[in-house]
Amino acid sequence: MGKTLFEKIWESHIVVEKQNEPDLIYIDRHLVHEVTSPQAFDGLRMNNRKVRRPDLTIATMDHNVPTSDRSLPILDQTSAVQIKTLENNCKDFGIKLFDINSPNQGIVHVIGPQLGITLPGSTIVCGDSHTSTHGAFGALALGIGTSEVEHVLASQTLWLEKPKTFEVRVEGKRKNPHAVTAKDIILSIIKNIGTAGGTGTVIEYRGEGISDLSMDQRMTICNMSIEGGARAGLVAPDQKTFDYLRGREYTPKNYESLVDSWRDILKTDSDATFDKQFILDINDIAPQVSWGTNPGMTCDIDEPIPSPDKFSNGDVNQKKGAEKALEYMALESGTMIEDIKIDRVFIGSCTNARLEDLIEASKIIQGQKVAPNVSAMVVPGSQMVKKQAEEMGLDKIFLDANFEWREAGCSMCLGMNPDILSPGERCASTSNRNFEGRQGNGGRTHLVSPVMAAAAAINGHFVDVRKLDLN
Amino acid sequence: MKGNIIKYARDNIDTDVIIPGEYLKVHDYTELATHAMEGLDPDFHSKVKEGDFILSGKNFGCGSSREHAPIALSHSGIKAILALSFARIFYRNSVDGAFLLPIEIDQDAYDGISEGDEIDIDVSKNEIKNITKNQTYKMKPFSEIIGKIIAAGGLFKYKPDQD
Repeated sequence: MGKTLFEKIWESHIVVEKQNEPDLIYIDRHLVHEVTSPQAFDGLRMNNRKVRRPDLTIATMDHNVPTSDRSLPILDQTSAVQIKTLENNCKDFGIKLFDINSPNQGIVHVIGPQLGITLPGSTIVCGDSHTSTHGAFGALALGIGTSEVEHVLASQTLWLEKPKTFEVRVEGKRKNPHAVTAKDIILSIIKNIGTAGGTGTVIEYRGEGISDLSMDQRMTICNMSIEGGARAGLVAPDQKTFDYLRGREYTPKNYESLVDSWRDILKTDSDATFDKQFILDINDIAPQVSWGTNPGMTCDIDEPIPSPDKFSNGDVNQKKGAEKALEYMALESGTMIEDIKIDRVFIGSCTNARLEDLIEASKIIQGQKVAPNVSAMVVPGSQMVKKQAEEMGLDKIFLDANFEWREAGCSMCLGMNPDILSPGERCASTSNRNFEGRQGNGGRTHLVSPVMAAAAAINGHFVDVRKLDLN
Repeated sequence: MKGNIIKYARDNIDTDVIIPGEYLKVHDYTELATHAMEGLDPDFHSKVKEGDFILSGKNFGCGSSREHAPIALSHSGIKAILALSFARIFYRNSVDGAFLLPIEIDQDAYDGISEGDEIDIDVSKNEIKNITKNQTYKMKPFSEIIGKIIAAGGLFKYKPDQD
């Protein structure tokens, strides 16, 4: 019987395999950031261990770096210590670091692909749940915890239970690709399968609705696999993938021969079967807006907020969850999404802060101004994205519209640096999690695409971008 | 293993409420523990006792890979989480660092156990005894693989069986 792409990558990375034991899996690339690594390095020191393959380990600082003027000292002392600690650890253990002043600094999941570090068919880990992003290149990319980070640093391997396989197939061709974006596709998938729908599985996204997407868009899809509970998400590499990675700073020298070897192998065989399947027609997808406190609590832009009864389908805890979510979000069921007014707009994060995201958002706001009483910011995913955007004049478009234009980092996605919501503030955010307090204690997050966030910034409330002329 | 229950009757308790992002800079585990569950239950720190268990619904620990989440709970005194299901990274983090036991329960146990109940978990028999209510429930056995990592005392102590 044929094999899925995931199974092929898994099997080609097994170091030790025994019945009723986890598989010991070889890790090709280990990405490290300042927040989930300090204890791992401490563990190495305590046990007199070295980093097994510093040449396969790459570090950057993204989670708590300030996005304001980088020539100024970092005011938050605990952040400064954590950043300094990563610098010292990378120096002590011989690891390549893109520090706060590096032109390659950025969100770890944005810089990996951009630098050609992320490769098809490879195994990639990082102490961050959104590592699934790299799956867009046909890599098996897993988010891990700090104990596992230490294990990979020490051995370049991990003991893992083999996940099950999950096919998510998106059929059809988008009629309005500028309005219905990759973000809407993935939010719609999560709304349907639920936040635990993918638990214990690796999702392979397939179908015309996926292969039509650009690499930036595929990354948005794979990025949020974890919000559907999956271990990882991936897309089989194709010509777009191979073209994207060609000629980047860390793309291997023998790239063309690698591409030749990938072309035939890195796909799911036609007779392979998946443990689970979900199929969606792309033309059933509208722009999405989350109304609750997890990414599954999402509805179409032209729908009212559902009642907890309707949302829960008879499940007591789901109903209670929806009631609590509405209370936290200060919303009522029946309210039309377009009637929800916002205070803040955040265009950023590893989900939606790549160049294409910024280009699409800039088209919406060009020549217009952010609504009074709304404050809006753009935080590019990496310094390289920022530079490319500036070369295209996007910074000027955003600044002219009264957006702030910041330095790269995770920023307001998770509220570790000074970019946070105040209690009660309502934000249209291109990030990945609308959990309670995620963007700041008491803050209210609505997950949307970059074009939806941009349109909300201009109008002061959500609007259906399908009604705008986007071509 | 005996302890009292702190019950959160809801699904999807995420790592951002278990330990909000602003505390991921804190390296001192005792201090980290003072902020455990702060995003959901600001009284948690004052009510939790050494040896307590948390009982909750589906998809416990969803979200971020922060190992700070099981660490903060463990250093608050929590020895096990009983939940209808777990998010995978939280589950592995709990076991890898031997911080606490993630125990999957069925609907009967979830409905039957109340806040404050004293329970006794017997992992060898896959049994949960409710001492307060004199009831017994089954726990879902750990997979063979996870059971071995737990028995070893964490990821770094685990070695596969020799032939």
